[in-house]
Amino acid sequence: MAKRRVAFYLMTIPALLLFFAFHTFPAIQGIYYSFTNWDGFSDSFDYVGFKNFVNIFQDENVLNSYLFTFKYAIITTILINVISLLIALGLNAKIKAKNFFRGVYFLPNILSVLIVGFIFNYLFANVFPIWGAKLGSEFLSQNILGNSDWAWIGIVIVAVWQGIAYNTILYLAGLQTIPHDLYEASNLDGASRWREFWSITFPMLASFFTINMVLAMKGGLMVFDQIVALTGGGPGRSTQSIAHLIYTGGFQGGEFAYQSANAVIYFIVIVVISALQLKFLQKREMDL
Amino acid sequence: MKKTIKPVVVSVLAMSVLSACGSNSSNNAAGNTNSGGNASGEKVKIEFFQNKSEAKATFDKLVAKFNEANPNIVVTQVNPPDAETVLKTRAAKKDIPDVVGIGATDTYKTLSASGLFEDFTTDPLAKNIQPAYVQMLKDLTGSSELNGLPFSSNASGVIYNKAMFAEAGVTVPTTWDEFIAVAQKFKDSGKNAFYLTFKDAWTTLTPFNSLTTIIKGNDFFKERTAGTVTFSDSFNEVAEKLLKLTEYGQKDIFGKNYNDGNTAFAKGESAMYLQGVWAIPEIVKANPSIELGVFPFPATNDAADNKVISGVDTLLTISKNTKHKEEAKKFVDFLLQPENVSLYISEQKAFPAVQGVTQDDPTMDGFKESFESGKLADFADHYIPSAMKVETINQSFLQKKDINAYLKQLDTEWDKVANRK
Repeated sequence: MAKRRVAFYLMTIPALLLFFAFHTFPAIQGIYYSFTNWDGFSDSFDYVGFKNFVNIFQDENVLNSYLFTFKYAIITTILINVISLLIALGLNAKIKAKNFFRGVYFLPNILSVLIVGFIFNYLFANVFPIWGAKLGSEFLSQNILGNSDWAWIGIVIVAVWQGIAYNTILYLAGLQTIPHDLYEASNLDGASRWREFWSITFPMLASFFTINMVLAMKGGLMVFDQIVALTGGGPGRSTQSIAHLIYTGGFQGGEFAYQSANAVIYFIVIVVISALQLKFLQKREMDL
Repeated sequence: MKKTIKPVVVSVLAMSVLSACGSNSSNNAAGNTNSGGNASGEKVKIEFFQNKSEAKATFDKLVAKFNEANPNIVVTQVNPPDAETVLKTRAAKKDIPDVVGIGATDTYKTLSASGLFEDFTTDPLAKNIQPAYVQMLKDLTGSSELNGLPFSSNASGVIYNKAMFAEAGVTVPTTWDEFIAVAQKFKDSGKNAFYLTFKDAWTTLTPFNSLTTIIKGNDFFKERTAGTVTFSDSFNEVAEKLLKLTEYGQKDIFGKNYNDGNTAFAKGESAMYLQGVWAIPEIVKANPSIELGVFPFPATNDAADNKVISGVDTLLTISKNTKHKEEAKKFVDFLLQPENVSLYISEQKAFPAVQGVTQDDPTMDGFKESFESGKLADFADHYIPSAMKVETINQSFLQKKDINAYLKQLDTEWDKVANRK
C-alpha cells in the first residue's frame, strides 16, 4: 500500500512543481508588475500603486476589446457546440466510410491556427470578393476583413471552421459512452428519434456538454492567433481582443505594467466566468 | 469528487491567461543563446539582428562576404517577423543581440533610453557618417549620447508609373492642387490614381507622415507635449487632405494589404503609389520591366515647402553587454565600408548615410534635388508614442470619415498615454 502511495507522489509532485514554475509563478509576477510602471525593458521602475488599474477603467480601448471578445466568445461557443454536436451525431450513425469522414472532420484541428488564418486571409482578400462580384453583390465583392462592422464575422467563420474539429471528437467520445440498451429499450417503447435525442442522448452527454462549453468559451475569450493572422486587430480597433490588446500594448507599445494590470483584471473575470459556467452546467448534470 | 475538481479547473483555465502574456517571449529566445562558447580555438559567434525583411537577401550576401574574410568569426543574421516587438521582448529578458540593425523609430528611442546600446559619440566608427543623420538620431532620443550608427536612409513621397503618366499626358505635380488634378484625370479616364492598402494600418502612415511633417512640422509634437497646442486646433488640414486621397483609390481600399499593393501597382493597376522607396525592390520583383519614378509628396500649394520625408532606415548598433564587442565592432566597421554600403543601397533602393557613397539609380532622380538642397524632414510618427497606435486611429478615421471625432481621438489618446507614463 505504501509503495503505491510513493508512486502516486512521484507522479504528482513533479507535475505540481512544473505547474507552479510555469503557470503560478509567472502569474504572481504579472500581479507584481501591475503595480509598477515598468515598460518591459528598462532596468529601473517605480511602484505606482493602483494607478494602472484606475487608468484601465478610463480606457475606452479596453472596454472596446472586452465587448468584442465577449461577443466573439459567446457566438463561437454556441456555433461550435451546435454544429459539432450535429456532426458528431452524424458520424456516430451507421453511415458508410464513417472513419474517412471522422478523419476529414478532424483535419482542421491538426493545422496551425496561424496557417489557417493566413490561408483564409488570402481567400477573403482575393478569392471570395471575385465570387461575390460574380453574384453581382456590392457587399460580397469587398474583403469582409477590411470592413470595421463586419470583420468580426470573418474571424468567427475561421474560428468555428477550425474549432468544430476538436469538439466533435469529444462529443463522439461521449456518444460512445451511452449504453446501447437504452436505445433498444426506447425502440421497444416506440419513442421517436427526436424524443430519443432529448430524453437519452442529450442528458447522457451532459458532462461532455459541460466540458465542451467551458473549453470553447475559454478558447473564445483568449482569442489571439486568429486576430494576428486575419486582421491584426483592425480595421481601427474593431477586432482587437483582450489578449491581443495586452500583447500589442504591452510589448509593442512599451506599456508592460499597464497591460499587466489589464491581464490581472481579465484573470479575475475569467475565474468568475468559468466558475459560474461550471456551477450552472454541472447542476444540470447532477439533476440526472 | 466533482466539487473538488471545480476550483482546480477554474484556476488552470484562468492562469493560462496571465501566463500567456509571459510565454510569448520565450518562443523567440530559443535559437539565439549562441553568444557564449569562446573557448580557445573556437569561432566567435555574433548574432546580427535586423528588422527589414526586404533586406534579408542583401544582408545575407554581406554576411557571407564577412564570414569568408574572417574565418574566426561567424555572423548569423536573424530577421524574425514583427522584429521590433521581438527585440523589445528580448530586451525584457536582457538578451540583446550582439549587433542590431533597426530603423530610427520609437522602439530605438525607448531601447536606447534604457541604456542598452553602446555609446558611439567618440568612436572612430562614427567618423564617416553624414552629420545630418547623426543629428537626426540625437534629436529623436533627446540625449547627448550617440547610441547608433546611421547606415542607410530612406525617402518617402510618391512613386509613379512613368508609362501611365506619359499615356495620360500628365506631368509630375508640384503642388497639392496639381496633385489632385492629376488624380482626378486618372479617375475620369476610369483608372485608379492611387492603390491604397489600408488593410495594413501602417500604410496609412506614409501619406500621414508626409502631410503632417510638411504642413505642421515635427516641432508640433514638442509643443503638444508642452501642452501649448492640440490636434483639434491644428490638424484639420492634415485630416481633410488625408481623407481626400481615399476618393482616388481603387475599390475596396480597406481590403488590400501592402503585399497586394506592391503587386497591383507593379501590374499597372494604379498610376501612383503612396509609399517610400523601400517598396521599390518588391515592385520591381513583381514586374521587372516597369518604369518607375518618384516625386516629393506635394502636401501644400507652395512648391518650395514640399519636402521629401527621409529618416534613418537602418542604423547599426551594438549591445552594451555583448561578450564580443571587438568582433561586433569589426562587423559593423565592415558594413560601413563604402563598397558594402554601395551594394546595399543599390539593391535596396535606399540612400546612404555614409559619406562618399551616392545613390545613382535613375529611378530616384525625382528626389535628387531635395536631397541636394537639403529639403528633407524626418517621419512624423517617430515623434508619436507607439502606445498611441496612431496608425489604427488613422485607419478607423478613414472608414468613418468623421474629422472632428478623429482629431478629438488623437488628443485623448495622446493624453492618455502621457498620463500612464
